[in-house]
Amino acid sequence: MARYAMVTDLTRCVGCEACTAACSAEWDVPPGHARTRVLPTGPVGEFPRLRAAFYVAQCNHCDRPPCVEACPSGATFQGPDGIVKIDPKLCIGCGYCIPACPYDARYLNPVTQKVDKCDFCAARLERGQLPACVTTCTAHAKFFGDLEDPNSEVYRLVYGRGAERIESDEVKIGPNVYYLGTRGEPALVREKFAPHPPQIPSSGQWWERVFKPLAFLMAGATFLGQAIAFFTQLRKGESQFDE
Amino acid sequence: MSEQATYLPAFSERMIKKHHVAIMLLHWFNAFVWLAELTTGAALIQSDRFRFAPQWYVELVTGVFGTRANMLRFHIAVGLTWIVVLAVYGIFGWRTYLREEVLKREIALDRDDVNWLRIRILRLLGRSNEPLPPQGIYNAGQKLFALTVYAMVPLIAISGLIMAFHWGPASVVGWAVVVHFLAVAVVVSGLMIHVYMGAVFPEEKPAFFSMITGMVPESYAYRHHRKWWEEVKMLERKRAAGELEEAAPQASSRVWAALRAREYWPAYWAALGLGLTLLAAFLLVGQGLGASGGFTRYLAFLIQLVAPGYAASHPYWSNYVQAGRPVLMDFLALELIGVALGGLVSGWLAGRLRWTTDRGPSVPVRARWALAFAGGLLSGFGARMARGCTSGLALSGGATLSAGAFVFMLSVFAAAFAGAYLLRRIWL
Repeated sequence: MARYAMVTDLTRCVGCEACTAACSAEWDVPPGHARTRVLPTGPVGEFPRLRAAFYVAQCNHCDRPPCVEACPSGATFQGPDGIVKIDPKLCIGCGYCIPACPYDARYLNPVTQKVDKCDFCAARLERGQLPACVTTCTAHAKFFGDLEDPNSEVYRLVYGRGAERIESDEVKIGPNVYYLGTRGEPALVREKFAPHPPQIPSSGQWWERVFKPLAFLMAGATFLGQAIAFFTQLRKGESQFDE
Repeated sequence: MSEQATYLPAFSERMIKKHHVAIMLLHWFNAFVWLAELTTGAALIQSDRFRFAPQWYVELVTGVFGTRANMLRFHIAVGLTWIVVLAVYGIFGWRTYLREEVLKREIALDRDDVNWLRIRILRLLGRSNEPLPPQGIYNAGQKLFALTVYAMVPLIAISGLIMAFHWGPASVVGWAVVVHFLAVAVVVSGLMIHVYMGAVFPEEKPAFFSMITGMVPESYAYRHHRKWWEEVKMLERKRAAGELEEAAPQASSRVWAALRAREYWPAYWAALGLGLTLLAAFLLVGQGLGASGGFTRYLAFLIQLVAPGYAASHPYWSNYVQAGRPVLMDFLALELIGVALGGLVSGWLAGRLRWTTDRGPSVPVRARWALAFAGGLLSGFGARMARGCTSGLALSGGATLSAGAFVFMLSVFAAAFAGAYLLRRIWL
């Protein structure tokens, strides 16, 4: 089975957002939202030693995705090829997964009322095409392929040229989108856009920490009461019935 | 006390009526719904964080449905049916089930009930030998469960609708999931006792059978629901003495009577019903109601029968005659059959079934038929030209706020206004 990965060369990226436009057109992303975004770090450092980079942010299809376990209905799942997908038939739009993503790659589609995000253009892959952002990238900065195939370009870029993951001290969940940069761009991106620890909305926290144990407690209490009643009844027989 | 003695001998033989058949039906419908919804609901919570059923159970139930999406669809379909049925009971039976006196009698706890609960628990623990206070038609435990259910059912229904139809922003849906889960958990805690009492507990055996036959033995009523038994006896005595006026008909029979009344429904009620029918059509088949489109289908079917080549090559009829799909496998064509059958049933219920020609006083029968034919010809022609009739264009189109529908409707009324004056002799 393949293990898909993407590599973005930040030295080549010019921040034109052609990838954002191609992606939005391909997947009917409503205005104001995006499956992939270009985030400028802005100038960093002191004149004249200024540096800047464009962070091309998207779903990282992590090895240990926190969004999957945050999804109560099982709509978000990881396939054997590593791609994290959303089944729109199962998504109820509760939004638990949105803050769970350390990379903020998810959004609630206001048209479908379901959560949406990058799926490495899984439908295009099935047709033998590359993801739309890769095909359209004007600077040829994006690469896509199978990390388990030593002949693939991404294999060469990750293991040969040392493309890096964007991780932080708290968040190391094995992202599969790698970044290249000859002038320390990945480090700059890590500095500005470090992934945050997975969070879950207060409703989900209450559910997990209070209401789920409470439900077991309530059901357990009635079960216990019933068991006592049952054995008392057994012991007494139906004698109390007769007046 | 002496009175009781006179009734005692015949006790074990006699049965007295406890439940109306509508309640028994609702009970078993509810039992099915809860079984289906709990089974699938437990398997629908999939993530390790929130899942409470074991993984093998989730996989087993998912396997029965094939896919998780099918399971969710089933869960939603059963839930929606449940909400509709409860709403129908609530709307048509509110006098029977939801009036204040009824609720007071059936779910409100009085002093006896509170004592009953206390003594019942102490007795179960073997800490008391006090006799249990007398109980009404439902005992305090049943009332407590009913109260819980009455409080939780709206929560379950509303939170379910919010999840199924994504009403509101993510935070609302997120809380709806939690409320749904918690409200169900509260009911389940009581449901366990309810099922145990009904299915296992020996003393309550008559209560179980009363949900099938509607009757309980008088001895059971006397022992377990003394206050209710006294009410029943009082009524029986009054009735025997002729003191009792004939009781007002129950809600269900009043609805039945209204359905059978030889009057037409009030126009606004009928309009509401038509609107709901239209809504149901949009929800169930994804298209509105229509009439002329269905007739066109039948015509296309006849043309295809006698001249298939012509039908297939004709620019208009070829729209309807497509290879591999029967012409009449169409919602509008089937709907027309339903319209005819529904009209027949409604006429039969109202006792209006007879052969007749509705006509104005000065128009002979034959002329009326000829005029109707001519009018039908014109309206059929016009309907196809307008690409819809009063049903398909004005009603269904109006419901979707189509501009064409309103232009059509205004034109129809304007033309009818002028035409009615010119043709008034036909009806006056």
